[in-house]
Formats: sequence, structure tokens, C-alpha cells
Amino acid sequence: MDTKFKKIVFENSDMIVNMWMKEIETLKDGNYTSSVSDELFESTNREFVNVIFSSIQHRGSTHVVEDFSEKLINLGWPLSYITDGLQVFRRVTIDFILSHTERIDSTYISELIRSVDLWTEPLIRQLVNEYSGSWEHIVSLQRVALQELSAPLIPVMDNITIMPLIGTIDTERAKLIMENLLDGVIKHNSEVVLMDITGVPVVDTMVAHHIIQAAEAVRLIGSTCILVGIRPEIAQTIVNLGINLDKFPTQSSLKKGFSAALNMTGRDIVENQAKHKQIQDMIDSLSRE
Amino acid sequence: MEKSCVSIKIELDIVAARQLGRELAKQVGFSVVDQARFATAVSELARNIYLYADQGEISFDIIKNMNQSGLRLTATDKGPGIRDISQVMQDGYTTSGGLGAGLPGVRRLMDDFDIISEENIGTTVTVVKWKR
Amino acid sequence: MKKIPILKLHDYLLVSIQTEIDDQTAMQFQEDLLQKIHVTGATGVVIDLTSVDMIDSFIAKVLGDVVTMSDLMGATVVLTGIQPAVAMTLIDLGIHLQNVPTALDIEQGLVKLHQELGA
Ligand SMILES: Nc1ncnc2c1ncn2[C@@H]1O[C@H](COP(=O)(O)OP(=O)(O)OP(=O)(O)O)[C@@H](O)[C@H]1O
Ligand SMILES: [Mg+2]
Repeated sequence: MDTKFKKIVFENSDMIVNMWMKEIETLKDGNYTSSVSDELFESTNREFVNVIFSSIQHRGSTHVVEDFSEKLINLGWPLSYITDGLQVFRRVTIDFILSHTERIDSTYISELIRSVDLWTEPLIRQLVNEYSGSWEHIVSLQRVALQELSAPLIPVMDNITIMPLIGTIDTERAKLIMENLLDGVIKHNSEVVLMDITGVPVVDTMVAHHIIQAAEAVRLIGSTCILVGIRPEIAQTIVNLGINLDKFPTQSSLKKGFSAALNMTGRDIVENQAKHKQIQDMIDSLSRE
Repeated sequence: MEKSCVSIKIELDIVAARQLGRELAKQVGFSVVDQARFATAVSELARNIYLYADQGEISFDIIKNMNQSGLRLTATDKGPGIRDISQVMQDGYTTSGGLGAGLPGVRRLMDDFDIISEENIGTTVTVVKWKR
Repeated sequence: MKKIPILKLHDYLLVSIQTEIDDQTAMQFQEDLLQKIHVTGATGVVIDLTSVDMIDSFIAKVLGDVVTMSDLMGATVVLTGIQPAVAMTLIDLGIHLQNVPTALDIEQGLVKLHQELGA
């Protein structure tokens, strides 16, 4: 039976495709794809129906399906486009075959439904899988990007790095901060890292605890963490909560912290005039010879 | 579920157990940091068996369910047991001149922590680390 | 049993731990290092841990002890190259090696020794 149904479908593919296209058109209005240009909508539909036919023919030809679902993701079309499309295909095909058969009984109908379901089922599974797989991929990429955003590390000069923290710090983010901080120290070979908490709205015991742990870990790997951006109210909280920050250098502002960092790495800011003078001295010493 | 065991009888078994632990953590797809966390927890529990119960067993199983995967580590011994569990879970408590960091540390290293112990019968510590 | 090699570099000793440390090896190392400090009169020691992928409470205790003991014998010890993963594990264990000087790598460890010893 199945082969017979397939034969009917392939021999009349043009008609079935036309019926399908017409039905899909009606779905467009007031729908997810309504903002899409007619040409794009039509060409995508054509591609879709080709995917359907080639999948039935080859019992699921993976990479065509893969390409197509990826395209839909890139277009930003929803999953319901796929499910609606296959639903319509099922309906149209069954209607078509029934209307082209003379003698119909219940066995015939149930066989027909079974066949058509068997054609579309693997396709629906595969498309949905591909689609959600690509989605997960995109979401995980975004998550990585977000993670990097939430604890950025800026190498300002040789051996000195700054991590400005903005927003609330919870346990999950604290872990991330520590990982980024330590990896960054190694990567940039930083002798000093400045952790700037100017943008952290609330520093309670938990947040302070996380910050201290991060600073301790930085010390273990052989670098020094200077805590900067301690506002008056944060200094008050820290003392009132009895948190001991004695072991860590702290500074009120990033600017002060930065000169402390320069100092620790044996450097100093030299005014240009001094340089001029040096050069002048050199010229003087040259002309003397 | 897959299960692998290491019996702890001599000191070098501690190394064998933590190496297997790290290998499995790698297989499950743990980050480098979580591999180190897991291997360290194995080392702590294996050493406690060796030190306080003389011998016992460390077993691992990989947990896979709908939305997450992880590694379970079970440390069992038929040693003297622990009378006061809340006491040994305190940082710094030790009866062997150690740092007393093992058990409270393992609790912080892992996601789930469970300890059952009865005097003169033995101790079982079960911990789970989930893949992040 | 494995033996951890200890190199002499002028007034300093240099140790680079390259093997998985079992308890015996750690204890033996403690003894060897103190002996070597005694014999050479070294004033500084750099212990490089770049290749160590795990430090548990036992090894941490041995390391901390060896630093204190060397100090008693007049030798300053700097630990270098502790990996981020190892540092985070130590923090979870509640081990901070508070009084132990650290540096990023051997080179900076030597610089640190110079500073600490005011040479
Ligand atoms: N399996 C066990 N059987 C009996 N007693 C145990 C067992 N494990 C731990 N204990 C008891 O609990 C105490 C605390 O254990 P924990 O691992 O936290 O610290 P420690 O082993 O003493 O030192 P560290 O682990 O820092 O080297 C031990 O000193 C011991 O008395
Ligand atoms: Mg212990």
C-alpha cells in the first residue's frame, strides 16, 4: 500500500505542492512571518516543500534537513512554521489521495494515515531536533558572551590588570569572577590586579566574603590584588560587619590604586619635563666631547 | 549506570583513586577547575579511609538524567565510625594533627554532600558534583 | 618511591615538582629539603608548582610546614606557579597559606627572594 500512496504523491507532486503553497499562504497573514517579503516567503516555502519531498524519497536525507533548519534559525522564523508546514502537508496529502481514490473503506483510510504519518514523523523529529539544537548552540554562545561581559579583565599595561565589577554579585557570578580573574592574571602575567568595586551597589557579608576569597586566590597564584573603589558607606559596612580586610591593600579610587600598582611593580609616572631635561643633558654631554 | 571502584588498602591507593576520579571527571566534561575539585575531594575521602578506618572502598558512578549530568563519589569503610558528625564537619577539627580541612572542604568542593556514620560499624560519605 | 630533585643556585635552592605527589614522596621531600638547607646554608628556596594539578589538605600541610621549618632554619621559601584550578580548590578547602610568599613563576620567585632578603 505504502508504495502505492507514494506513487500517487510523486506522480501528482505539482498539484500537491500547489495546494500546500496555497494553504501556507493563508497562514502568513497576521502571523509570525507577516513581516517577511512575499518573494522570500515563497522561495522558503518552495525549499521547505522540496525538503519534505526529498525526505520522503530518501527516508530522511539529513543534510538537506540540517541546512534548511539552520536557514530558518538564521531567518529567525519560529518553530511553529515547521510544525504548521508539516501539519498542512499531512492534511493536503491525505485529502488529495482520498479525493483521487474510488473505493474507500476504513482500512484504506487507516493505512493511508499511517503511511503519511510515517513519512512526516521522522522529518518532524529531525527538523525539530536540528532547530532546537541550533538554538541551544546560539544560546550557549550568548551565555559565554554574557559571562565574559559580567567579569571583564583589562590589561592596562605590562603586569597591571584591572577588573571593573558592575552590578550585583551572587555566588554563581562570584565563581565566574574568580575564574576570569585567575586565568587573566596568568594570561597577562599580571603582578598586580586592581579589582574595582565602584559599580557594585551593595557589599554585604556574602559579597565581601566572595571578594576576599578572590583576592586570596590571586595571592596564591603569586599575584597581588588591590581592592579599589571603596565608597564611604562600603567602608562603614565592612567595619560594622566585622569583616577583616587588613591583609589586602585597598584604595578609595581607581586612580590611587593605579599609582599603588605602579609603585609595587617598581615604576613611576615621569613628567615629560624630566624627559626633556634628560634629553637636554644628553645633548649637552654630547656637545662637550 | 556505569560504576567503577577502587579499594583503599595502602597509601598509594589514594593516588590511584584520585587519578581515576580525575579521569572520570574529564570524561563527564567537567571544567579544569571542577576536575581539580573532584580529584581533591577523592583524595580527601580516600585518605580519611586510609588514616581512620585502615581500609575501605571508593566508588564512582556517572549520573545522567534529563537536564544534567554529574559524578557521584561514594566512600565507604567499616572502621570505627564518627560519634559526633557536626564536630568533624567543623573547619580545623582533627584527631590526627592534620589541618582538619578534609570533610568541611569536601562539602564546599562538591554540590551535594551526605555522611552516614555509626560507631564501631563504619562511615559512608556520598557526594555529587554536577557538570556546570 | 619517587624523589623530588633539589637544585642549588648560588645561595638559593630551586625545586620544581614534576610528579604526582604521594604522601611518602611529600614527607621524603620535606626531609630532603631541610637537610639540604642545613648542608648548603641556603638563605632562600623557590618551590615551583606549575606542573602540580592538585593539592589536597595533606600536601598543603606538608608544604606549609616545610615553609615554617625552613624559616626556622633561616631560609625563606617562595611558592611559585600555583595553577588557578589548584588555587580555587585550596580556597574551597579553607587553606590560605597565609604566611607563605608566592610568585607567578620561578623568575619572579627569585626576584621576590631578593626583595625579601634585602639583597
Ligand atoms: N572515615 C572516617 N572514619 C572515622 N573517623 C573519621 C573518618 N573520616 C574523618 N574522621 C574523623 O573526622 C576528623 C576530621 O576529618 P577531616 O578530613 O576533616 O580532617 P583531618 O583528616 O583530621 O585533616 P585533613 O583532612 O585536613 O588532613 C578526623 O580527624 C577523624 O577523627
Ligand atoms: Mg582528612
